Order: sequence, then C-alpha cells, then structure tokens
Amino acid sequence: MSAAFDEQVGDYVLGMLDGAELAAFEVALERDPELAGRVEALRGRMQALDDTVVPAPVPSALWGRIEAELQPAAVAVARRAPLRQQSWLLAASIVIAAGIGFVAGQQFGQPPRPVVIAVLVSDDAIPGAIVEAFANNSVHIVPLEAFDVPSGKVLEVWTKPNEEIGPVSLGRFARSEEIVLDGATLPLPQAGQLYEITLEDAPGSPTGKPTGPILVKGLARSPI
Amino acid sequence: MSDIGPALSPETLLARIARAERAALAALFESEAGRLLAIARRIVRRSDLAEEVVQETFVAIWQRAGQFDPARGSARGWLTTMVRNRALNLLRDGGRLEFHDITTLEAMQGREQDAVLAFQTLPDKEGLKHCLGQLDEPKRRAVLLTYVVGMSNGEVAERLDVPLGTAKSWIRRGIAALQECLR
Repeated sequence: MSAAFDEQVGDYVLGMLDGAELAAFEVALERDPELAGRVEALRGRMQALDDTVVPAPVPSALWGRIEAELQPAAVAVARRAPLRQQSWLLAASIVIAAGIGFVAGQQFGQPPRPVVIAVLVSDDAIPGAIVEAFANNSVHIVPLEAFDVPSGKVLEVWTKPNEEIGPVSLGRFARSEEIVLDGATLPLPQAGQLYEITLEDAPGSPTGKPTGPILVKGLARSPI
Repeated sequence: MSDIGPALSPETLLARIARAERAALAALFESEAGRLLAIARRIVRRSDLAEEVVQETFVAIWQRAGQFDPARGSARGWLTTMVRNRALNLLRDGGRLEFHDITTLEAMQGREQDAVLAFQTLPDKEGLKHCLGQLDEPKRRAVLLTYVVGMSNGEVAERLDVPLGTAKSWIRRGIAALQECLR
C-alpha cells in the first residue's frame, strides 16, 4: 500500500477529497484490499456518529416513488451479481474486449487506437462507463450501467485537461448507449486526466460547467 | 410482503434483494428509511432533498445489492455510506442547493448544534467517544463539523474563525490522532 494513499484514508472517510485526488484514491481502493480494509475500519467507527440520529418520520409517498423507479431490468442485473462483485476485473476485460473490437473491426470509423481510456466509477466504486478518447478529439463512450435519465435531462461528458482550463464539455447523450461524441478542441489527452459524466438539464449544462450530480468519474490511462 | 418479517437482518435482506425480491427491499425500507433520512437531513438540511437522497439510495440498492460484500463491513454501514456519499455530492456539486439555505448564520448554527449533539449522544462505551474526547476542543469541533454535517474546509474555517490553512491542518491532525487512538 502506498504511504501517500494511506495518509489520505482519513481525508477520504471525512469526505474531503475531490476531483482528480478522489478519483485516484478510488482507483487505488479497487486495487488494494489492505487500503480498502483501512477505509472500512475507520468508516465503521465513524458511523457511530451517524447512528446517533433520531430516525425521521418517513413520508408515506416515499416508498411509492421508489417503487415507481424500480426497473424490471434490475432482475437481470441482480442475477449477474456474483460476477459483478469482481467489477474491476469485469471492467478491465471489457476494456480489453473493446480494444480488440477496435483493432479488428474499426466499426466506428475512428482511428484504431484511443490515446487514453478511462473507466468511470460511481460513488460506490462500481464501474459505470468506459471513455476512450482519440487524437482527433472524439470520444467513444461505452456505458456499463443503465443510467436513469429522467425526461428533461441529459447525460453530459466532461474532462478536465488541467486546473487552468477546468472542466470542458465533450458532448451530451440522452440514453445509456454506446456513442461517439465529437468532443472539444483540446490538448492531446494525458494519462491521469479526469473524465466524468453528470446528469444535466436538457439540452445541457446552462453554465458550460458541470452543475448536476456526478454519476461516474475516473482517471484516464494510456493503453500499453 | 407475507414472508418477510421485521426480524430479518439487513444482511439477509440484501441477499434477497440481490435475487430481485421486491418484498425484501420493502422490508429494508421499513426498517432503515427513517434512520437514513435523518442522516441525509443532517447533511443536506432540507427534508425534500433528504428524501431525494434516500430515494436514489434505495433505487441503487435494488440495482446493486449483489455488490454488497459482508466481509468488508456491515449492511447498515454500507447503506450509511451510500446515503452519505449521495448527500455530500448533492451538497458539494449541486447547483441545486441555494447558497443561502445552508450558509445563513442560523443554518450554520443548526449544523454546528447537530455536529456537537452527535458527539454528546454517542454511548459512553463507544471507543470513538473516548477518542474524540482526547482531542483538544478545536480539533474535535473541526472533525465533527466535517464528518457529521459535511461542512467544507472553508465553512469550518469560518465557523471556527481561523484561516483556511489552520482549519485544514486541525481536521487532518484531528483525524490522524483519532485513527491512532482507535487502533
């Protein structure tokens, strides 16, 4: 376990990490069971504070709202559960499969090799999408999770080339489906660059910066 | 919902939810929603937003119950983490929360009261209470304000009337000393 990440366990459990630091820590968590063990240990202790709450009255309509959102598709997702416990491996194998697809088929008419690939993960460290970024600025998105996109909302893809430039929109899409976006004119993507997908009001963030909740995020790596 | 009684542990319920048993999700909601709502409320400060957080969490539980690994922690802890993460994201990333909602003097005082009350309400036998008690007062407050109600470093600095760097260093040193004490 790297000492740098070990020192961040407290910050992480307190919710003080953000942006690239948070994404890097979460990738390390997926890979390092010892680090994950330390996080769980501290989290378990700190949650005694959460448990001091007096339970709030539950509005009678709340369960109905939840039930209305449960997709029948969840059955299929749930049945895959044992496999999904090794989600990182699964995501990695999909990355490889996607790579092979590009070399073999070039089915999207893109240059054969992405400059970087990022596996974007949720708050719960579940891989939710893969982003491949190409030298011509286009990005190829492969969702691994059926994101819930209410009507009037869109999914917006962002990257942060560096702190000076800040987050830049790479495009929007309406449904969880594989898609190629034109991207934005930016410096060549680098390993370690942050990518994320947020839920925005249609037709897209009104401010040109992310305003909605982050669904998934991750740091790019270069294919070997 | 016939065969699912209140006696089942959250661990058992999660295993059933992973097999797409809706009644198990309903039973988990029955036993946990009130606690989770209150935890979210401490952070987002508004009942409607807390409900939204809990709603999202239960939909996520339905989709991801199979991800829960009992070897890594308790089921209730897993739920708490899911709610905290969503509530903190709403607080930090949202253009959703109107700024004045949570930064008025009154709201800041309410948040501080909640944070201090959480510490005082910890059972005496709880090791965390002892360890928090060992910290000097400003560090303890800084850690509690950050963890319990999700104040940003800047808000903690303002609340404790110290420069940002000092607040950060108190929080970092506070949590480090806590980890040491809890070992």
